[in-house]
Amino acid sequence: MKNIKRILLLLVVVSLVLSFGFAQGIEESSESSEEKVTLKVLNYYDTTEPGYEKERQVWQNFRDENPNVNLITEDLCNEAFHQKVSAYIASGNLPDVMYMYPSGRSMAIHENKLVKDLKPLLGEEFLSNFVSTALNTKTQGAGYLAELPQSICYSTVVYTNKGLLDSLGLEIPTTYEELKAMVQTLKAHGIQTVLMANKDDWVMQSCLFSTIAGRYVGTKWFDDVKEGKVKFTDPEFIQALDMVKTMYDDGVISRNTIQLAYGEAPGLFASGKAAFFVDGDWKASAFLTNHETGESLISPEKQETDLALIAFPALPGENYPGTVSSTLGCGFGISSAIPAGSEKEAYAVKLIKYLYSSEVQQQYLELGRYVPTRKDVNSDNVEPIVKKMKAYYAQSDSTCYVLDSALDPSVYTVLNKVLQEIGLGSKTPKEAAAEIQTAMDKYIAEK
Amino acid sequence: MLNKDKEEKKAYRRFVIPSLVIFLFVMAFPIILSFVLSLSNFSGGKMFGGSRWKITGLQNYSYLFSDSYFWNALLNNIYLVLISVFGQLPLGMILAYLIYRKTVKGGEFWQGILYVPSVISVIVIGIMWNLIFSPYGPVSQIINDINTSSFTKEVMAVLNGHLDLNGSLVVNSSLIKDLININAQSAALLGNDPANVLATFLKTLGTENLKETGVLLTNLLCPKWSASFLNERGVSMLPILFVTLWCWTGMYLILFLANMQKIDPQTLDSAQIDGAKESTILRHIILPELSGVIMNSAILCISGSLSTFDLIYAMTGGGPARITQVLSIYMYEKAFTGTPNYPLSNAISIMMVVFSLILIGITKAVQKKLEGNR
Repeated sequence: MKNIKRILLLLVVVSLVLSFGFAQGIEESSESSEEKVTLKVLNYYDTTEPGYEKERQVWQNFRDENPNVNLITEDLCNEAFHQKVSAYIASGNLPDVMYMYPSGRSMAIHENKLVKDLKPLLGEEFLSNFVSTALNTKTQGAGYLAELPQSICYSTVVYTNKGLLDSLGLEIPTTYEELKAMVQTLKAHGIQTVLMANKDDWVMQSCLFSTIAGRYVGTKWFDDVKEGKVKFTDPEFIQALDMVKTMYDDGVISRNTIQLAYGEAPGLFASGKAAFFVDGDWKASAFLTNHETGESLISPEKQETDLALIAFPALPGENYPGTVSSTLGCGFGISSAIPAGSEKEAYAVKLIKYLYSSEVQQQYLELGRYVPTRKDVNSDNVEPIVKKMKAYYAQSDSTCYVLDSALDPSVYTVLNKVLQEIGLGSKTPKEAAAEIQTAMDKYIAEK
Repeated sequence: MLNKDKEEKKAYRRFVIPSLVIFLFVMAFPIILSFVLSLSNFSGGKMFGGSRWKITGLQNYSYLFSDSYFWNALLNNIYLVLISVFGQLPLGMILAYLIYRKTVKGGEFWQGILYVPSVISVIVIGIMWNLIFSPYGPVSQIINDINTSSFTKEVMAVLNGHLDLNGSLVVNSSLIKDLININAQSAALLGNDPANVLATFLKTLGTENLKETGVLLTNLLCPKWSASFLNERGVSMLPILFVTLWCWTGMYLILFLANMQKIDPQTLDSAQIDGAKESTILRHIILPELSGVIMNSAILCISGSLSTFDLIYAMTGGGPARITQVLSIYMYEKAFTGTPNYPLSNAISIMMVVFSLILIGITKAVQKKLEGNR
């Protein structure tokens, strides 16, 4: 019996020693290939959208061209992306190269200066390839070029099913009254007027309310509100909140949309369940053809004939007609944790230059991801919706803030929530305004 | 004798110390650290060697107690605890008893079917039920199709009652009034003057094709059903409670059934021979035998309900406007969305621990009392 015990004990010790040995071995083997420089990248991509295979190829090409780099990429989108960034910040362990916003949802990265200034790293010659607006550092939370904006982002686009309107004898509306007048006709045909995916509370704020607020109070007003010169409880801002309530009351936007998840809306719009769909310019990519399967939510032919991209119709009593909310687009930044002048930094810069090269940017344009800020990028090989988006940008000459890029997160999270409460009818615009102002007062006091 | 005691103590220590060390590192240390952080101004980054942070006091707790969303989240957690303890456990017990006593046929089949939800990913369950309750989902569509078909009949009857000798529709105030009277409440949604809206609508529509007119009027006037009650405070938790019940009852069924099967069948046979009824067997044999597992299940229910996150996050994300938030989602929101506030999030997690301990204490007290009575 004692012998058996001893043998068992010996076996346990041997297996433990072996397992430690193996663990060491794995570490060593990875260290032996450690001549390579490891770059961890956090990328923003909805892997269910068309073109993901091509996106992967873009990263693979860099790997092939740079065998000395061990490139580890992570693709996330929507809330999952922001949650992961928050977790990285909390742990103090940011990826080497990361996709980020010019302010707003990436504010914590900017405020804590967790990324480097790209200007000296990329050099003036390289940056001269980009439109000057993209290089405006005043609009970046950090106050320097923390990320190089890939595009200028328009957060309100009214995707319009022109074919459907034509078949019902309806015209594209230019005023809110015209839009409201369509509600009953569309309802009689079982069609919703304006579709939005309002389950996520940022959607109403980013994709519609920013434009509504811009139309009533403009841009400077939001600079003033941060200095306490004006208040959210002032009548002009309440008028903007009132407009949201009016849209729900008039049936222009159905209250059902508050239960509609972000991913569900494009499919419903494409299947003719609504005449209009309000979302950001980025959502155009959801309607493009998947080159692997040849399938698309709206075929290029239908995009040509049946789809129109319009600005939100004129609102009653608006002060800044035609204004559309826009912000500098997102882009890649380099972690401050990388030692200056190191080989790793050199490869991170090389990666950024590659991602912003005219070849890669042209590919993104053709994929319909966005219209690049790089000046020498052009292509005729794009689907009609991309051409229409370019035309939409050209006609939108007056822009205003996307509020989550202009306000502090402690304020815009309250705004997001109260906009939903207005939709539910559980708060009046006045009560909502008072709550936002309380959050703003607290922000000013802490500042 | 003394040596034996020493030996026993030594063996006891050998067995206990490794698990005690693991417990201290994996359970106790994070809780203590969380408590320390909840009193601090830690703002992320490296905890040791990073930017400095210090203990700042109890202000996070005072913020919590004055925040209505904290109390709302806690209330939702209490609903979950109640549905778990007083829903899942009794239902699981009844179902297990029916299967055990072979009151229903095909016991193994039911056992399997009822257990299936427990093995499916909670995220999948959340998304599935969300689609089912969606205003654009199958339930809404089926109910609306049924509504519409009966409503169309009523509209057609009104239209047919207003035909002239040539079979053409006569649009007059009487027709409009009759159409509105089908469902005045729904017609009121057309605006301040529904009669005028309808008259204009019929004019622009033309009235040649009676059947098509009927369909369009049905779309316009028929009240649309949707699970919009999910947006209302007070009832928005109902679907979540229902899914919680549906999801976990099977697990407790299996626990209870397994313990019932351990009861000596001869005890039950002799009780039956002595003339005991089913209710007596349940009350005096089965329930006392299962008291231990019932109490353990209650503790599982309470801790599970207080820490639940995934199901609600997948179903509603805590929305709309935070009305279905529970403490874990509230904590998550404070830590990972907007401006991260780690000390506050840690204060919330400490409150979760405190509530768990209070509820488990109550459960233990109840168990003691019941055992005392016995």
